[in-house]
Amino acid sequence: MNIEPGAAILYMKVGTHAQENLETILERKRKEIEDSGYSMWGYGGNSCHPRTMVQPFARAAPGPIYLCMEPMQSSHLAEPIRAEEFSADGMNWHEIPAPINVLGSRYALCIDSLEDVDQNLDLAGTRVALGNSMGLNGGKYVRGRVDKACLEVVQLSSSEPRNVHIGLAAKLVEPYAVLLRT
Amino acid sequence: MAEEIDLKAAINAVSDVVQNRPRPIREFDQIYMKTGDMVMQSEFVANWARGKRLAFIGDGDSISVCVAYLHARGILGYGPSLTTVFDFDERIVSAINRFADHERLENLQAVLYNCIDGLPLSKQYECFYTNPPWGASNNGASVNLFAQRGLEATRYCGEGMIVIADDPQLSWPQEVLYQVQAFTSNSGFYVSRMMPQLHSYHLDDAPDLRSCNLIIKARPTNIERLGSEPILDGARLDNFYGRDTTLRVRYVKEVKRLDYGRANEIEYAFELLGEAERQ
Repeated sequence: MNIEPGAAILYMKVGTHAQENLETILERKRKEIEDSGYSMWGYGGNSCHPRTMVQPFARAAPGPIYLCMEPMQSSHLAEPIRAEEFSADGMNWHEIPAPINVLGSRYALCIDSLEDVDQNLDLAGTRVALGNSMGLNGGKYVRGRVDKACLEVVQLSSSEPRNVHIGLAAKLVEPYAVLLRT
Repeated sequence: MAEEIDLKAAINAVSDVVQNRPRPIREFDQIYMKTGDMVMQSEFVANWARGKRLAFIGDGDSISVCVAYLHARGILGYGPSLTTVFDFDERIVSAINRFADHERLENLQAVLYNCIDGLPLSKQYECFYTNPPWGASNNGASVNLFAQRGLEATRYCGEGMIVIADDPQLSWPQEVLYQVQAFTSNSGFYVSRMMPQLHSYHLDDAPDLRSCNLIIKARPTNIERLGSEPILDGARLDNFYGRDTTLRVRYVKEVKRLDYGRANEIEYAFELLGEAERQ
Protein backbone atom coordinates (compact mmCIF):
# COMPACT_ATOMS: atom_id res chain seq x y z
CA MET A 1 0.00 0.00 0.00
CA ASN A 2 1.31 3.39 -1.01
CA ILE A 3 -0.42 6.46 0.36
CA GLU A 4 0.26 9.41 -1.93
CA PRO A 5 -1.45 12.77 -2.33
CA GLY A 6 -4.53 12.21 -4.47
CA ALA A 7 -5.09 8.70 -3.12
CA ALA A 8 -8.52 7.66 -1.91
CA ILE A 9 -8.54 5.68 1.32
CA LEU A 10 -11.09 4.34 3.70
CA TYR A 11 -9.87 4.90 7.25
CA MET A 12 -11.25 2.82 10.08
CA LYS A 13 -10.42 2.12 13.70
CA VAL A 14 -10.56 -1.61 14.38
CA GLY A 15 -10.57 -3.77 17.46
CA THR A 16 -12.82 -6.23 19.20
CA HIS A 17 -16.04 -6.66 17.23
CA ALA A 18 -19.16 -8.49 18.33
CA GLN A 19 -17.25 -9.87 21.33
CA GLU A 20 -14.52 -11.34 19.11
CA ASN A 21 -10.97 -10.02 19.52
CA LEU A 22 -9.05 -8.58 16.59
CA GLU A 23 -6.51 -11.40 16.35
CA THR A 24 -9.26 -13.99 15.99
CA ILE A 25 -11.09 -11.89 13.42
CA LEU A 26 -7.92 -11.45 11.35
CA GLU A 27 -7.18 -15.16 11.39
CA ARG A 28 -10.73 -15.93 10.29
CA LYS A 29 -10.79 -13.30 7.53
CA ARG A 30 -7.44 -14.40 6.09
CA LYS A 31 -8.74 -17.95 5.92
CA GLU A 32 -11.85 -16.70 4.11
CA ILE A 33 -9.69 -14.90 1.53
CA GLU A 34 -7.59 -18.01 1.10
CA ASP A 35 -10.67 -20.20 0.62
CA SER A 36 -12.97 -17.91 -1.37
CA GLY A 37 -10.68 -15.33 -2.93
CA TYR A 38 -12.35 -12.55 -0.99
CA SER A 39 -13.88 -11.74 2.35
CA MET A 40 -16.40 -9.39 3.90
CA TRP A 41 -15.23 -7.03 6.64
CA GLY A 42 -18.21 -6.17 8.84
CA TYR A 43 -18.85 -2.73 10.26
CA GLY A 44 -21.61 -0.25 11.06
CA GLY A 45 -22.31 3.49 11.09
CA ASN A 46 -23.45 5.89 8.41
CA SER A 47 -20.17 7.70 7.79
CA CYS A 48 -19.35 4.79 5.46
CA HIS A 49 -22.81 3.73 4.35
CA PRO A 50 -22.35 1.18 1.53
CA ARG A 51 -24.66 2.77 -1.03
CA THR A 52 -24.44 6.46 -0.29
CA MET A 53 -20.76 6.64 0.67
CA VAL A 54 -18.43 3.71 -0.07
CA GLN A 55 -19.71 2.63 -3.48
CA PRO A 56 -19.77 6.11 -5.08
CA PHE A 57 -16.44 6.89 -3.42
CA ALA A 58 -14.81 3.74 -4.79
CA ARG A 59 -16.28 4.13 -8.28
CA ALA A 60 -14.94 7.67 -8.56
CA ALA A 61 -11.50 6.88 -7.16
CA PRO A 62 -8.50 7.20 -9.49
CA GLY A 63 -7.06 3.85 -8.41
CA PRO A 64 -7.66 0.99 -5.99
CA ILE A 65 -9.20 1.87 -2.66
CA TYR A 66 -7.36 0.71 0.42
CA LEU A 67 -8.96 0.17 3.76
CA CYS A 68 -6.44 1.64 6.20
CA MET A 69 -7.04 0.31 9.68
CA GLU A 70 -5.82 1.63 12.98
CA PRO A 71 -5.87 -1.16 15.57
CA MET A 72 -7.04 -0.11 19.01
CA GLN A 73 -8.16 -1.55 22.30
CA SER A 74 -11.91 -1.57 22.41
CA SER A 75 -14.95 -3.47 23.50
CA HIS A 76 -17.86 -4.13 21.18
CA LEU A 77 -20.78 -5.86 22.80
CA ALA A 78 -22.98 -6.48 19.74
CA GLU A 79 -24.35 -9.99 19.52
CA PRO A 80 -22.24 -12.18 17.19
CA ILE A 81 -25.19 -12.93 14.90
CA ARG A 82 -24.18 -14.18 11.47
CA ALA A 83 -25.53 -12.23 8.49
CA GLU A 84 -27.18 -14.63 6.04
CA GLU A 85 -27.66 -12.33 3.03
CA PHE A 86 -25.95 -9.38 1.40
CA SER A 87 -27.06 -6.77 -1.11
CA ALA A 88 -25.14 -4.16 -3.05
CA ASP A 89 -28.24 -2.13 -3.91
CA GLY A 90 -30.66 -2.75 -1.05
CA MET A 91 -33.14 -4.49 -3.34
CA ASN A 92 -31.51 -7.64 -4.69
CA TRP A 93 -30.35 -9.96 -1.92
CA HIS A 94 -28.00 -12.92 -2.19
CA GLU A 95 -26.94 -15.64 0.18
CA ILE A 96 -23.55 -15.11 1.79
CA PRO A 97 -21.30 -18.05 0.83
CA ALA A 98 -20.89 -20.56 3.62
CA PRO A 99 -17.13 -20.03 4.13
CA ILE A 100 -17.67 -16.33 4.82
CA ASN A 101 -18.97 -15.31 8.21
CA VAL A 102 -19.82 -11.72 9.04
CA LEU A 103 -20.92 -11.36 12.64
CA GLY A 104 -22.79 -8.58 14.40
CA SER A 105 -22.63 -6.11 11.49
CA ARG A 106 -25.12 -4.20 9.34
CA TYR A 107 -22.64 -3.54 6.54
CA ALA A 108 -19.50 -5.13 5.13
CA LEU A 109 -16.60 -4.09 2.94
CA CYS A 110 -15.53 -6.52 0.24
CA ILE A 111 -11.79 -7.14 0.42
CA ASP A 112 -9.38 -9.48 -1.33
CA SER A 113 -6.30 -8.89 0.79
CA LEU A 114 -5.52 -8.24 4.42
CA GLU A 115 -1.96 -7.27 5.24
CA ASP A 116 0.00 -6.21 8.28
CA VAL A 117 1.55 -2.81 7.63
CA ASP A 118 3.44 -0.29 9.71
CA GLN A 119 2.68 3.16 8.46
CA ASN A 120 1.76 6.58 9.81
CA LEU A 121 -1.13 8.54 8.37
CA ASP A 122 -1.58 12.24 9.03
CA LEU A 123 -5.35 12.59 9.19
CA ALA A 124 -4.97 16.37 9.13
CA GLY A 125 -3.52 15.98 5.64
CA THR A 126 -6.75 14.40 4.40
CA ARG A 127 -10.27 15.60 3.77
CA VAL A 128 -13.68 13.96 3.74
CA ALA A 129 -14.41 12.95 0.15
CA LEU A 130 -18.21 12.99 0.04
CA GLY A 131 -21.39 13.21 2.05
CA ASN A 132 -22.61 15.78 4.54
CA SER A 133 -19.11 16.49 5.82
CA MET A 134 -17.52 16.68 2.36
CA GLY A 135 -14.43 18.88 2.38
CA LEU A 136 -13.93 18.80 6.15
CA ASN A 137 -10.39 18.19 7.35
CA GLY A 138 -10.01 14.48 8.21
CA GLY A 139 -8.23 15.31 11.46
CA LYS A 140 -11.23 17.32 12.64
CA TYR A 141 -13.78 14.87 11.31
CA VAL A 142 -12.49 11.67 12.88
CA ARG A 143 -13.15 12.20 16.57
CA GLY A 144 -15.60 11.07 19.20
CA ARG A 145 -18.05 8.58 17.78
CA VAL A 146 -16.84 9.13 14.22
CA ASP A 147 -14.27 6.35 13.83
CA LYS A 148 -14.23 5.75 10.09
CA ALA A 149 -14.29 7.89 6.97
CA CYS A 150 -13.92 8.02 3.19
CA LEU A 151 -10.93 10.30 2.78
CA GLU A 152 -8.89 11.93 0.04
CA VAL A 153 -5.21 12.37 0.80
CA VAL A 154 -4.31 16.00 0.18
CA GLN A 155 -0.80 16.07 1.60
CA LEU A 156 1.38 13.59 3.45
CA SER A 157 2.21 15.90 6.31
CA SER A 158 0.32 18.97 7.40
CA SER A 159 1.32 21.95 9.50
CA GLU A 160 -0.76 20.69 12.43
CA PRO A 161 -0.43 16.93 12.02
CA ARG A 162 -2.69 14.38 13.61
CA ASN A 163 -0.85 11.15 13.07
CA VAL A 164 -2.42 7.75 13.48
CA HIS A 165 -0.75 4.38 13.14
CA ILE A 166 -2.05 2.18 10.35
CA GLY A 167 -1.37 -1.43 11.28
CA LEU A 168 -3.55 -3.22 8.74
CA ALA A 169 -4.48 -2.63 5.13
CA ALA A 170 -6.92 -4.32 2.79
CA LYS A 171 -7.79 -3.73 -0.86
CA LEU A 172 -11.45 -3.19 -1.66
CA VAL A 173 -12.98 -5.12 -4.56
CA GLU A 174 -16.31 -4.74 -6.29
CA PRO A 175 -19.00 -4.15 -5.19
CA TYR A 176 -16.82 -2.53 -2.49
CA ALA A 177 -19.46 -2.46 0.26
CA VAL A 178 -22.73 -4.26 0.88
CA LEU A 179 -25.75 -4.19 3.15
CA LEU A 180 -26.33 -7.24 5.34
CA ARG A 181 -29.32 -8.94 6.91
CA THR A 182 -30.04 -12.09 8.84
CA MET B 1 -45.10 40.65 23.74
CA ALA B 2 -44.57 36.92 23.18
CA GLU B 3 -47.18 34.58 24.59
CA GLU B 4 -46.07 32.33 27.42
CA ILE B 5 -45.84 28.63 26.64
CA ASP B 6 -46.00 25.71 29.04
CA LEU B 7 -42.64 24.22 28.10
CA LYS B 8 -43.22 20.90 29.83
CA ALA B 9 -46.54 20.44 28.05
CA ALA B 10 -44.91 21.38 24.73
CA ILE B 11 -42.04 18.90 25.18
CA ASN B 12 -44.45 16.14 26.17
CA ALA B 13 -46.64 16.88 23.15
CA VAL B 14 -43.63 16.68 20.84
CA SER B 15 -42.68 13.46 22.62
CA ASP B 16 -46.09 12.04 21.59
CA VAL B 17 -45.28 12.93 17.98
CA VAL B 18 -41.76 11.48 18.11
CA GLN B 19 -43.20 8.23 19.53
CA ASN B 20 -45.48 8.02 16.49
CA ARG B 21 -42.80 8.48 13.80
CA PRO B 22 -41.48 5.61 11.69
CA ARG B 23 -37.78 4.98 11.91
CA PRO B 24 -35.73 6.93 9.38
CA ILE B 25 -34.28 5.40 6.22
CA ARG B 26 -30.89 6.97 5.90
CA GLU B 27 -30.53 6.15 2.21
CA PHE B 28 -33.22 8.72 1.49
CA ASP B 29 -31.69 11.35 3.74
CA GLN B 30 -34.38 10.82 6.36
CA ILE B 31 -32.46 12.36 9.21
CA TYR B 32 -34.48 13.47 12.20
CA MET B 33 -34.11 16.77 13.99
CA LYS B 34 -33.30 16.61 17.68
CA THR B 35 -36.30 16.94 19.95
CA GLY B 36 -35.36 20.22 21.64
CA ASP B 37 -34.97 21.86 18.25
CA MET B 38 -38.29 20.36 17.14
CA VAL B 39 -40.06 22.09 20.01
CA MET B 40 -38.54 25.47 19.14
CA GLN B 41 -39.03 24.98 15.40
CA SER B 42 -42.66 23.96 15.82
CA GLU B 43 -43.43 27.07 17.82
CA PHE B 44 -41.74 29.23 15.21
CA VAL B 45 -43.55 27.57 12.29
CA ALA B 46 -46.91 27.78 14.08
CA ASN B 47 -46.43 31.51 14.56
CA TRP B 48 -45.07 32.09 11.05
CA ALA B 49 -48.00 30.24 9.43
CA ARG B 50 -50.71 31.33 11.86
CA GLY B 51 -54.13 31.38 10.20
CA LYS B 52 -52.68 30.28 6.84
CA ARG B 53 -52.91 27.19 4.67
CA LEU B 54 -49.54 25.43 4.92
CA ALA B 55 -48.10 22.75 2.59
CA PHE B 56 -45.24 20.54 3.74
CA ILE B 57 -43.15 19.24 0.85
CA GLY B 58 -41.87 16.13 2.64
CA ASP B 59 -41.86 15.88 6.41
CA GLY B 60 -39.98 12.99 7.98
CA ASP B 61 -39.39 15.04 11.14
CA SER B 62 -43.15 15.44 11.73
CA ILE B 63 -42.89 19.17 12.35
CA SER B 64 -46.31 19.39 10.66
CA VAL B 65 -47.82 17.12 13.31
CA CYS B 66 -46.11 18.98 16.15
CA VAL B 67 -47.47 22.30 14.89
CA ALA B 68 -51.04 21.00 14.47
CA TYR B 69 -50.97 19.10 17.76
CA LEU B 70 -49.53 21.93 19.84
CA HIS B 71 -52.23 24.21 18.44
CA ALA B 72 -55.08 21.73 18.87
CA ARG B 73 -54.07 21.03 22.48
CA GLY B 74 -54.04 24.74 23.25
CA ILE B 75 -50.35 24.67 24.15
CA LEU B 76 -49.90 27.23 21.38
CA GLY B 77 -52.64 29.75 20.80
CA TYR B 78 -51.86 29.94 17.12
CA GLY B 79 -51.12 27.77 14.13
CA PRO B 80 -51.97 27.23 10.47
CA SER B 81 -55.63 26.91 9.46
CA LEU B 82 -54.86 23.86 7.33
CA THR B 83 -51.79 21.68 6.92
CA THR B 84 -51.21 19.21 4.09
CA VAL B 85 -48.11 17.02 4.00
CA PHE B 86 -46.88 15.62 0.68
CA ASP B 87 -44.41 12.77 1.23
CA PHE B 88 -43.23 9.78 -0.82
CA ASP B 89 -42.92 7.49 2.21
CA GLU B 90 -46.22 5.78 2.93
CA ARG B 91 -45.04 4.98 6.45
CA ILE B 92 -44.78 8.72 7.13
CA VAL B 93 -48.07 9.51 5.39
CA SER B 94 -49.90 6.80 7.32
CA ALA B 95 -48.30 7.77 10.62
CA ILE B 96 -49.46 11.36 10.17
CA ASN B 97 -52.98 10.40 9.14
CA ARG B 98 -53.26 7.87 11.98
CA PHE B 99 -52.10 10.45 14.51
CA ALA B 100 -54.43 13.10 13.07
CA ASP B 101 -57.32 10.65 13.28
CA HIS B 102 -56.50 9.53 16.79
CA GLU B 103 -56.07 13.06 18.11
CA ARG B 104 -58.91 14.54 16.03
CA LEU B 105 -56.61 16.97 14.22
CA GLU B 106 -59.10 17.80 11.52
CA ASN B 107 -56.96 20.40 9.78
CA LEU B 108 -54.00 18.03 9.23
CA GLN B 109 -53.75 15.53 6.39
CA ALA B 110 -50.98 13.72 4.52
CA VAL B 111 -50.86 12.62 0.88
CA LEU B 112 -48.56 10.10 -0.83
CA TYR B 113 -46.59 12.05 -3.39
CA ASN B 114 -43.14 12.04 -5.01
CA CYS B 115 -41.71 15.40 -6.01
CA ILE B 116 -40.77 14.10 -9.47
CA ASP B 117 -44.50 14.16 -10.24
CA GLY B 118 -46.69 17.20 -10.68
CA LEU B 119 -48.10 18.35 -7.35
CA PRO B 120 -51.77 17.30 -6.96
CA LEU B 121 -53.26 20.68 -6.09
CA SER B 122 -56.90 21.04 -5.24
CA LYS B 123 -56.41 24.20 -3.27
CA GLN B 124 -53.95 27.05 -2.96
CA TYR B 125 -51.60 27.24 -0.02
CA GLU B 126 -50.33 30.50 1.38
CA CYS B 127 -47.05 29.09 2.60
CA PHE B 128 -44.88 26.00 2.37
CA TYR B 129 -42.26 24.28 4.49
CA THR B 130 -39.59 21.87 3.33
CA ASN B 131 -36.60 20.15 4.88
CA PRO B 132 -35.40 18.30 1.76
CA PRO B 133 -32.32 16.20 0.90
CA TRP B 134 -29.63 18.83 1.34
CA GLY B 135 -27.99 18.52 -2.04
CA ALA B 136 -24.36 18.09 -0.99
CA SER B 137 -23.58 16.23 -4.20
CA ASN B 138 -25.80 18.02 -6.70
CA ASN B 139 -25.25 21.69 -5.84
CA GLY B 140 -28.66 21.94 -4.24
CA ALA B 141 -30.67 20.58 -7.20
CA SER B 142 -32.62 18.32 -4.84
CA VAL B 143 -33.39 21.28 -2.58
CA ASN B 144 -34.52 23.30 -5.58
CA LEU B 145 -36.89 20.57 -6.73
CA PHE B 146 -38.59 20.45 -3.34
CA ALA B 147 -38.63 24.27 -3.25
CA GLN B 148 -40.15 24.36 -6.72
CA ARG B 149 -43.05 22.20 -5.52
CA GLY B 150 -43.50 24.53 -2.59
CA LEU B 151 -43.57 27.57 -4.87
CA GLU B 152 -46.16 25.80 -7.01
CA ALA B 153 -48.26 25.06 -3.93
CA THR B 154 -48.43 28.81 -3.29
CA ARG B 155 -48.97 29.54 -6.99
CA TYR B 156 -45.82 31.64 -6.72
CA CYS B 157 -47.61 34.15 -4.47
CA GLY B 158 -46.85 33.05 -0.93
CA GLU B 159 -44.04 32.40 1.51
CA GLY B 160 -41.76 29.47 2.12
CA MET B 161 -39.48 28.10 4.80
CA ILE B 162 -36.60 26.03 3.47
CA VAL B 163 -34.55 24.12 6.05
CA ILE B 164 -31.10 23.30 4.72
CA ALA B 165 -27.56 22.69 5.87
CA ASP B 166 -25.64 25.65 7.20
CA ASP B 167 -22.02 25.27 8.22
CA PRO B 168 -19.46 28.04 7.66
CA GLN B 169 -16.61 25.48 7.81
CA LEU B 170 -17.85 23.55 4.78
CA SER B 171 -17.99 24.76 1.21
CA TRP B 172 -20.93 22.74 -0.05
CA PRO B 173 -23.61 24.14 2.26
CA GLN B 174 -22.55 27.65 1.27
CA GLU B 175 -22.74 26.76 -2.40
CA VAL B 176 -26.17 25.16 -1.87
CA LEU B 177 -27.38 28.26 -0.03
CA TYR B 178 -26.27 30.33 -3.00
CA GLN B 179 -27.92 28.01 -5.53
CA VAL B 180 -31.20 27.93 -3.62
CA GLN B 181 -31.29 31.68 -3.22
CA ALA B 182 -30.51 32.08 -6.93
CA PHE B 183 -33.26 29.61 -7.88
CA THR B 184 -35.91 31.17 -5.70
CA SER B 185 -34.84 34.65 -6.77
CA ASN B 186 -35.23 33.65 -10.41
CA SER B 187 -38.67 32.34 -9.49
CA GLY B 188 -39.76 35.72 -8.15
CA PHE B 189 -39.03 35.27 -4.45
CA TYR B 190 -36.70 37.10 -2.11
CA VAL B 191 -35.10 36.06 1.18
CA SER B 192 -37.12 37.75 3.90
CA ARG B 193 -35.28 36.15 6.81
CA MET B 194 -32.37 33.83 7.44
CA MET B 195 -31.90 32.07 10.79
CA PRO B 196 -28.40 30.54 10.68
CA GLN B 197 -27.12 27.30 12.27
CA LEU B 198 -30.31 26.67 14.17
CA HIS B 199 -31.07 22.94 14.28
CA SER B 200 -29.09 19.81 15.03
CA TYR B 201 -29.86 16.25 13.99
CA HIS B 202 -29.46 12.59 14.80
CA LEU B 203 -26.66 12.45 12.26
CA ASP B 204 -23.91 10.07 13.31
CA ASP B 205 -21.57 10.85 10.42
CA ALA B 206 -21.78 14.64 10.85
CA PRO B 207 -22.95 15.25 14.42
CA ASP B 208 -22.02 18.95 14.37
CA LEU B 209 -23.78 19.82 11.12
CA ARG B 210 -26.56 22.38 11.62
CA SER B 211 -29.37 23.62 9.44
CA CYS B 212 -30.87 27.05 9.00
CA ASN B 213 -34.31 28.44 8.27
CA LEU B 214 -34.21 30.20 4.93
CA ILE B 215 -37.48 32.09 4.67
CA ILE B 216 -38.56 33.40 1.30
CA LYS B 217 -41.43 35.56 0.18
CA ALA B 218 -43.01 36.29 -3.19
CA ARG B 219 -42.38 39.67 -4.76
CA PRO B 220 -45.50 41.85 -4.43
CA THR B 221 -45.67 42.05 -8.23
CA ASN B 222 -45.81 38.26 -8.74
CA ILE B 223 -48.70 37.04 -10.86
CA GLU B 224 -50.44 33.83 -9.87
CA ARG B 225 -49.12 30.80 -11.79
CA LEU B 226 -51.14 27.61 -11.86
CA GLY B 227 -50.13 24.04 -12.54
CA SER B 228 -47.34 21.65 -11.72
CA GLU B 229 -45.62 19.38 -14.20
CA PRO B 230 -43.66 16.14 -13.71
CA ILE B 231 -39.89 16.27 -13.97
CA LEU B 232 -38.84 14.84 -17.33
CA ASP B 233 -35.22 15.99 -17.23
CA GLY B 234 -33.39 13.05 -15.66
CA ALA B 235 -30.32 15.20 -15.02
CA ARG B 236 -32.22 16.95 -12.21
CA LEU B 237 -32.45 13.62 -10.40
CA ASP B 238 -28.74 12.73 -10.62
CA ASN B 239 -26.93 12.53 -7.28
CA PHE B 240 -30.26 13.23 -5.61
CA TYR B 241 -29.54 11.55 -2.28
CA GLY B 242 -25.76 11.85 -2.55
CA ARG B 243 -22.99 11.26 -5.07
CA ASP B 244 -23.95 8.58 -7.57
CA THR B 245 -27.22 8.01 -5.71
CA THR B 246 -29.93 8.76 -8.23
CA LEU B 247 -33.58 8.95 -7.26
CA ARG B 248 -34.89 5.50 -8.22
CA VAL B 249 -37.72 4.83 -5.76
CA ARG B 250 -41.12 6.40 -6.44
CA TYR B 251 -42.70 5.42 -3.13
CA VAL B 252 -41.64 3.75 0.07
CA LYS B 253 -44.62 1.51 0.74
CA GLU B 254 -45.65 0.62 4.26
CA VAL B 255 -45.72 -3.01 5.30
CA LYS B 256 -49.06 -3.00 7.10
CA ARG B 257 -49.14 -4.31 10.64
CA LEU B 258 -51.97 -4.86 13.07
CA ASP B 259 -49.75 -4.03 16.02
CA TYR B 260 -48.57 -0.66 14.72
CA GLY B 261 -46.74 1.36 17.34
CA ARG B 262 -45.94 -1.63 19.51
CA ALA B 263 -42.78 -3.72 19.76
CA ASN B 264 -42.55 -5.96 16.73
CA GLU B 265 -42.87 -9.64 17.57
CA ILE B 266 -39.74 -10.46 15.59
CA GLU B 267 -37.76 -8.36 18.09
CA TYR B 268 -38.34 -10.59 21.09
CA ALA B 269 -39.32 -14.00 22.40
CA PHE B 270 -40.65 -15.08 25.81
CA GLU B 271 -38.72 -17.36 28.11
CA LEU B 272 -41.45 -18.79 30.36
CA LEU B 273 -41.29 -19.57 34.04
CA GLY B 274 -40.99 -23.25 34.85
CA GLU B 275 -43.97 -25.25 36.14
CA ALA B 276 -42.69 -25.23 39.71
CA GLU B 277 -42.06 -21.49 39.68
CA ARG B 278 -45.64 -20.77 38.64
CA GLN B 279 -47.14 -22.60 41.62
